[in-house]
Amino acid sequence: MRNGLRQSMAWLHSWAGLVAGWVLFCIFMTGTATYYRADVSRWMRPELPVVQQVPTPDDLARAAETAVAHLKGAAPNAIAWYVTLPSAADPAVALMWFTDFALPPGTARLDPATGGPPAVRETFGGDFFYRFHFELNLPSTIGRWIAGICAMIGLVTLLSGIITHRRIFADFFTFRRHAKSAQRSWLDAHNVAGVVAIPFHLMITYTGIATLALMYMPWGVLTAYKGDAMRFYGETGQITAPLAPAGKPGTLAPVGPMVRQALERVSEPLEMVIVEMPGDAKSKVVAVFEEPHGLSHQHPQVAFAGATGTLLQVLNPNLKPASKTFTTMVGLHEAHFAGPALRVLFFLCGLTGAAMVGTGLVLWSVARLPTPGAAPFFGLRLVRVLNLGTVAGLPAAVAAYFLANRLLPVGLGARADWEVGVFFAVWILAAVYAALRPQASVWREMLAACAALFLAVPVVNGLATGRHPLASVAAGDALYLWFDAAMLALAGLFAIAAYKAHGVEAPGRRRPQAVAPLRRNALEQA
Amino acid sequence: MGTGRRTGRGYRAGVAGRVLLAIVGGYALAALATAVLSLTLPLEPAEAVTAATLLSFTVMAVVVLFVFAARSLRVATLWLALPVGALSLGLWVLMRAGASV
Amino acid sequence: MTPIVLLANLALSFAALAALCLSMNRHHAAAFTAKPSRRTMLGLRAAGWAGIALCFAVAVMAEGWNFGPVQWLGSLSGGALLVVALASYRPSWIRPAALLALPLALVAAFTL
Repeated sequence: MRNGLRQSMAWLHSWAGLVAGWVLFCIFMTGTATYYRADVSRWMRPELPVVQQVPTPDDLARAAETAVAHLKGAAPNAIAWYVTLPSAADPAVALMWFTDFALPPGTARLDPATGGPPAVRETFGGDFFYRFHFELNLPSTIGRWIAGICAMIGLVTLLSGIITHRRIFADFFTFRRHAKSAQRSWLDAHNVAGVVAIPFHLMITYTGIATLALMYMPWGVLTAYKGDAMRFYGETGQITAPLAPAGKPGTLAPVGPMVRQALERVSEPLEMVIVEMPGDAKSKVVAVFEEPHGLSHQHPQVAFAGATGTLLQVLNPNLKPASKTFTTMVGLHEAHFAGPALRVLFFLCGLTGAAMVGTGLVLWSVARLPTPGAAPFFGLRLVRVLNLGTVAGLPAAVAAYFLANRLLPVGLGARADWEVGVFFAVWILAAVYAALRPQASVWREMLAACAALFLAVPVVNGLATGRHPLASVAAGDALYLWFDAAMLALAGLFAIAAYKAHGVEAPGRRRPQAVAPLRRNALEQA
Repeated sequence: MGTGRRTGRGYRAGVAGRVLLAIVGGYALAALATAVLSLTLPLEPAEAVTAATLLSFTVMAVVVLFVFAARSLRVATLWLALPVGALSLGLWVLMRAGASV
Repeated sequence: MTPIVLLANLALSFAALAALCLSMNRHHAAAFTAKPSRRTMLGLRAAGWAGIALCFAVAVMAEGWNFGPVQWLGSLSGGALLVVALASYRPSWIRPAALLALPLALVAAFTL
């Protein structure tokens, strides 16, 4: 088998990468934005004060009571209520409840002081990017399966890419900007983006699949636990022991005292209160705390009997090796442990991942450029439009989402949905534009549009909220300064890309060459 | 894969066959390995299930790479059928033993 | 604490990877207009790998076995990005930048 393995892996790499590339690019982009989920959420609620008080135990107890009062009216027969308590990042109480796990959950946000809606504009904030990066704004089961399948294809693409790329060390630092063929430069860029952060790419792909492992691979739980996932989770020590429902109605004891008691037992900040089967006589109230500083994603939990308020269990996770491996994978994926400096590195690695996928997609079409004068075949035209719509369209949609947050009227009904609507409207518009414009100039036009949109974000923000950089300096508002700086940096990045993109995919910058052995040529001419 | 002619019905059928084998065979082997290891690893049940499930994605990725690296579709199918058959048999025995206990 | 450790790690991994980069014919020629002698090449390569190992040691000693390796890999990626950027746009700056990074790493390590 002369050269067989490397060639078959190269084939697999380019086609698997193409099939999943567009979804993976979206996952990498929005997932990377999720490293700043709380900051984005805060920026998108400009009514919040610059500095928020850390809630006291009394505040938390009262907020939990307010939430339960609301939920008793809104969803008395729910399977479970999830109450995210106020924090220094977000002063509102966020409610979520399931009446049927097959249906989307109900949600609401309350001002803990009044019990009414918070005096803050309605938005999904950074949660939109978070949910999009593994559910793609689809019904959750379908979205998670698509994301998981694409992640698996991504893992295969990464591994086959490593096997194909035999000069990993020799080419480690090589990016020939002025190579004779455009394909050469794109290949260099793709290699550098992939290889430089390869530990991150492998880690984030595998741990991403692992976070939803039991959904994708339920066969262990099905055989060893007869499908009883709750008993499995309980035995791993990740959740408090499950209670069987009594089947007769009961009343919930006041949750305020339970919250106070839980706070006395755990020193971490309290994040959430879960009420399981709130209408049942055997209901359970669980106080879930933030993870202690560590790689592993383990939440300390305190469980109470809902009807009486008596303490059932204090769960201070002390997991066994396999479970610990799982929670460490989840922890690494989420990077909650990363302080500001390390977070920047994770963010850059995420961008590198998006760049790896994006350059790979472009490389596919550059490598199949028709000889000058020949018309591109249908598949190539399709790939080009999808590439443009994804690589240039998604960033434009992200910028538009931020702009919509500042420009839509604050009192607009279903405002949060409108913001998402603007996101998708701009994205679809970008794809249509990509399909209609000539290939020679469309990259430049669309990248320039991205630059303009990101530049518009700090400008519009300054005009709409008055919190421009000078005001932010005066108020000591680091978040707004950083956000403006990040938007300007992105605008600059897209402006440079637009400047460089001139004629990138136009015929003529590449020597005429047979299409078939392109991979081998590209790799072996190095 | 990759060598030989790149057009024609035979080539396309071969590619389609490998894609199918990689997806179905890869998932089947990963799922069977998860089920069997969950029941047989010498750990507590919860630990065995977790370890087997986490490992399964490596199994699937390796199978996919193997299917595309194999010299021919027939070779890949044969080499994949062996462990799938063995694990299926093993799982059947384990489930019967578990049911009779 | 952590930002300082990260700075030390970044500076160290940058210097180490710069040495590895300069040990390669193509990049050495771009930076110095000549290929390296065999001795220079071996010296740079040894220094580079030693730097990467030292970086690991610093990360693990300062951050423990949990966070240390994560930070080590992160800083290697960050350092490599910097080296690639310099190698493609300003190859002649690699050597001075690496020589500047070394004392920076030292200062950062001593303020721990």
